[in-house]
Amino acid sequence: MVSINYSSREVCCKIVYYGPGLSGKTTNLLYVHSKVPSDTRGKMISLATEADRTLYFDFLPINIGTINGFAAKFQLYTVPGQVYYNATRKLVLRGVDGVVFVADSQPDKMEENIESLINLEENLREYGYDISDLPMVIQYNKRDLPGVLPIETLNAKLNTRGLPHFGASATLGNGVFDTLKLIIKLVLEKAKRSASDRAQPSVNLAPGSAAEPATPAPPATPAPQVASTDEPEPEPEPMAPYPEPAPEESVPAAPSTVDPVTSEVKDDDTGRLPGRATQPVSVGVGAPSAEATSTDPEPTTYRPYPGSEEGPQDFEKKVSSANFTPKKMEEPDDDDSVSNRIRSSSGGDADVSRPAMAPSLKKRGDNKKRGFIKRLFGIK
Amino acid sequence: MADDSLIIYEEEINQIDSLISKMLKGAEAKCALLVDKDGHLITRQGFTHSLDTTALAALLAGSFASTKEIARLVGEPEFSVLFHQGKKDHIHMSLVGDRSILVVIFDDRTTIGMVRLYAKETAIELGKIFEKIKEQSFDKSKAGITNDFASQAEDKLDDIFQD
Ligand SMILES: Nc1nc2c(ncn2[C@@H]2O[C@H](COP(=O)(O)OP(=O)(O)O)[C@@H](O)[C@H]2O)c(=O)[nH]1
Ligand SMILES: [Mg+2]
Repeated sequence: MVSINYSSREVCCKIVYYGPGLSGKTTNLLYVHSKVPSDTRGKMISLATEADRTLYFDFLPINIGTINGFAAKFQLYTVPGQVYYNATRKLVLRGVDGVVFVADSQPDKMEENIESLINLEENLREYGYDISDLPMVIQYNKRDLPGVLPIETLNAKLNTRGLPHFGASATLGNGVFDTLKLIIKLVLEKAKRSASDRAQPSVNLAPGSAAEPATPAPPATPAPQVASTDEPEPEPEPMAPYPEPAPEESVPAAPSTVDPVTSEVKDDDTGRLPGRATQPVSVGVGAPSAEATSTDPEPTTYRPYPGSEEGPQDFEKKVSSANFTPKKMEEPDDDDSVSNRIRSSSGGDADVSRPAMAPSLKKRGDNKKRGFIKRLFGIK
Repeated sequence: MADDSLIIYEEEINQIDSLISKMLKGAEAKCALLVDKDGHLITRQGFTHSLDTTALAALLAGSFASTKEIARLVGEPEFSVLFHQGKKDHIHMSLVGDRSILVVIFDDRTTIGMVRLYAKETAIELGKIFEKIKEQSFDKSKAGITNDFASQAEDKLDDIFQD
């Protein structure tokens, strides 16, 4: 569901690319990622299997800028298409505001398309969605391949509701933006309708009506709050200082372990959204901060793209081979300097030589805390 | 569910932020995120500058969701707390009300016990605020999505999405 935050002045919508396995959902996102200005999008994240198949989801946040004083943000997700992944597919669908159904135009994929469409409707219904009211666009992908079914045939089988549809070739980029633009537009129109329905159902438009209300639109945008526009981040002074790492710290690129589950598409830049102090952080779950990464003697937190032996560079090759502009890898930071800086600036009694360990009761030497912790855990 | 938009105003965010920053101080944790179960970031406090909080929110919500599914398979309604232990940084996640997740990131300056204690208290307080938010009627005068929102967006889209 659309999330509207009047404090950070953000409108955030969730769009899910749905469809059978290998229909081109991930390729759609890769194309968007490669073509939109880097200040418009965040990092793309893929949770994929060894074989590059989407395991859980791909995620690409985009920020189309400020409209009426609100930053309009869209989170693009793909689902894994294979039948047996329905549990995760359904999870991704939670709270969806708009669906792009990516169908494979090849004749032998018709069964899978139909099955996936039925599955989509089932999952939406289980979440309590009114399917006829959910913004949806159908994309008939792989139009570049020989022998694909004509659009009319596809429409007859897959588009009985007469939804808007596009032919596309995601690898070439044809139709990708048309699809995305339309679904964004539909989602925003729907959001507007819901907002006005919630406010004054009697005065406002019936869903789907094109008429504008007679009353002029209310002054919708109070002046932006300086303190909280985009960086609601105070500096809580009394705490032990947590030093901020330099903003341009990068993630070490050389992987030493291969975790097939998590990967990310590295940006050539920091992949930040406007106004956000984001920076390239390795996003393997369990690698929560750049600090963690940079203090590791062995840079284990960068997850190479699944199935690759060589690490992230290999993925760059894959991207470029699929007609995407190759992005340059960032240079890994000098580990030691970063970790030393963090350690040495982290308060007087910070133990520089202490190896990084999981928290344990024993390790906390200071007695004041220990008493408290004993009580906490009921240790006599 | 489809129309159950999360709409949060300045006032509540301020209350939420101050609760969270109180928790951070008490627990001596590094930073905290409040994440919608759908993967949207609601707010963040503490030292989050170095974090890609958008991506974190999506992934944390995803991991919470999949854990919930695991819970169901083993006959639990939901695991209300999740803990990821790292070499240096650790993540504690707990449910707030029925649709948000309080995420606390901390390191060895504190302990899981402290974080758990404070997070639990804070989650209860936050839950009350969310209850209030739910009951609130939508204030149209503050509506950000006006009639021309979609059409204004369209112009931007044409600029941004050029092949
Ligand atoms: N010829 C052609 N191949 C495509 C097109 N879109 C995707 N593919 C290929 O189909 C395969 C599966 O695509 P992917 O995006 O991973 O599918 P997903 O499972 O829906 O995410 C990849 O090898 C893509 O390169 C297209 O428009 N034309
Ligand atoms: Mg995929």
